[in-house]
Amino acid sequence: MRSLAAGAIFCVALGALAAELPIFDAHLHYSHDAWDTVPPQEAIAILRKAGLKRALISSSGDDGQQRLYALAPDLVIPELRPYRSRGEISSWFRDESVIPYLEDRLKRHRYAGLGEFHLYGADADLPVPRRMVQLARQHKLFLHAHSDIDAIERLFRQWPEARILWAHSGFDRPEKVREMLRKHKNLWCDLAFRTDQARGGKVDPDWRAAFLEFPDRFMVGTDSFTPERWHYIGEHANWSRQWLADLPKDVSERIAWENGETLFGGLQAQ
Amino acid sequence: MELGERLFFEPRLSPSGKVLCATCHVPYRGWQDGRARAFGLAEADRNTQSLLNVRYQRWFGWDGAGDSLWAQSVRPMLDLREMGGSQAQAAALVRGDAELACRFEKVFGTPPPAADEAVLAGIGKALAAFQETLVSGRSPFDDFRDALSRGDFSSMKKYPEAAQRGLRIFVGRGNCSSCHVGPAFSNGEFHDTGVPFFIKGGADAGRHGGIRKLEANPFNLLGAYNDDRSGVSAIKTRQVDLQHRNFGEFKVPSLRNVAQTAPYMHNGSLATLAGVVRHYSEIDPDRLHSDGEALLKPLRLTTAESADLVAFLESLTETASALAPRRPSAACR
Repeated sequence: MRSLAAGAIFCVALGALAAELPIFDAHLHYSHDAWDTVPPQEAIAILRKAGLKRALISSSGDDGQQRLYALAPDLVIPELRPYRSRGEISSWFRDESVIPYLEDRLKRHRYAGLGEFHLYGADADLPVPRRMVQLARQHKLFLHAHSDIDAIERLFRQWPEARILWAHSGFDRPEKVREMLRKHKNLWCDLAFRTDQARGGKVDPDWRAAFLEFPDRFMVGTDSFTPERWHYIGEHANWSRQWLADLPKDVSERIAWENGETLFGGLQAQ
Repeated sequence: MELGERLFFEPRLSPSGKVLCATCHVPYRGWQDGRARAFGLAEADRNTQSLLNVRYQRWFGWDGAGDSLWAQSVRPMLDLREMGGSQAQAAALVRGDAELACRFEKVFGTPPPAADEAVLAGIGKALAAFQETLVSGRSPFDDFRDALSRGDFSSMKKYPEAAQRGLRIFVGRGNCSSCHVGPAFSNGEFHDTGVPFFIKGGADAGRHGGIRKLEANPFNLLGAYNDDRSGVSAIKTRQVDLQHRNFGEFKVPSLRNVAQTAPYMHNGSLATLAGVVRHYSEIDPDRLHSDGEALLKPLRLTTAESADLVAFLESLTETASALAPRRPSAACR
């Protein structure tokens, strides 16, 4: 009974934290198959109910997040994917028609970054990704790369001053992530679709070391890769608040929202 | 077991007096209901699974919210859309009915206790004891497998060639046996197989919600009602780990008697086995996370190959029931 009471107090405390800690969700998609099942008004309502301060959103094709941006420019930060449908995940980097698509969208809309795109190993040096990197440089955009270390290194070689948000922290081990962050000062990491950083609200020791060494380089994210996952955004935000509460307050706030706000919030100010 | 059988067919477990376990788990329908989604007092979100061979499962329900058959048996009694009962109402029934109270005392050694929760746990265990008797009979595939193992080519020839070709796909390029493995043709685990999981007002959280319910359930194997004092049975519950990928995952169903358990998938969205084969043949990999279900690729089966795979699946269905006929039991004394 005593442990139940203690648990209840803990839950109340977490609830209070949940109400207080804003979240910058750095990894959302609003792709074509979500537009009817989670209409834009409902999608924005989900984001607000989850207590998101802002959300970095891309979609396949790009019209999706533009609809959200039109409804909630205070909340939505648009990213441009090189995909017109999600089916292009494994073919876009050899598809030359991607480039005029990107150029056209960049003429018509404002974006914070290009991505999230999937790119591995030597494919990063193919002509289409190279031209995409040039476009990022020309328009001063972040690259949001779902990539292995090899591809990240190749992107930096193409553009040493690139600013890269490493999706899912490459699904790599925290020690490797730290190595990469030490090596590249313009590399940031999102933690989307990972659960290894914490269990039961307690941060893993290796990840804790990474967060404390680089408190300015991490962000959380849901990854709504199917439409149903829009209904997971609130759950994910609360789960994030729970494990972030296990970190020093200044670190948790940076990872929860300040890093995203610092890097991407400027788009709203323009 | 007899107490469990009586409770299984007991409409008074629902305050409505109209819904019993057998409303959805219909004996003559393969212990399921043939509906896309279960309907007790109202329509639920998921398909009713057959109870045949349920004793061999590790997690129970499409979301694995039950870590024991008896805990899972309690759940529908309390679900407002299924039986709509309560602990107090179920406990009062067992205490107040002389036949049930007598049988309860015979099984558990004491009369139904004062604590409603303890009585409900007993009801669940009795229901589980009955369900553990529900096993499927031999199928044409079993006969073929046994003939193969003893080198009996004459008997093997009785197994249809289409089913043999389907078996080759099942264990070969179809990769079906990666998950549908073992005697029950299920690994007992949870996967996202690209079936949409929207429900009214949101999404069915699947295994993610199941783990949340499991953790909160006073009847889980970590709780006071687990009869296993060694703690061994609770290891799986203690080790279960909530992951983002669990959202929208559902348990791999057994394929035993699959020809009798249409419609298919967690929400009954596919009416026929041919539809299920088509789903995997044309699966949309975009619905799966790029770092998720790596096994699932569109199989691109021809019409003939699809028919062969269906023939194999149908051959997993019993040719005769293994269950003894039900007989009325004598009154408890």
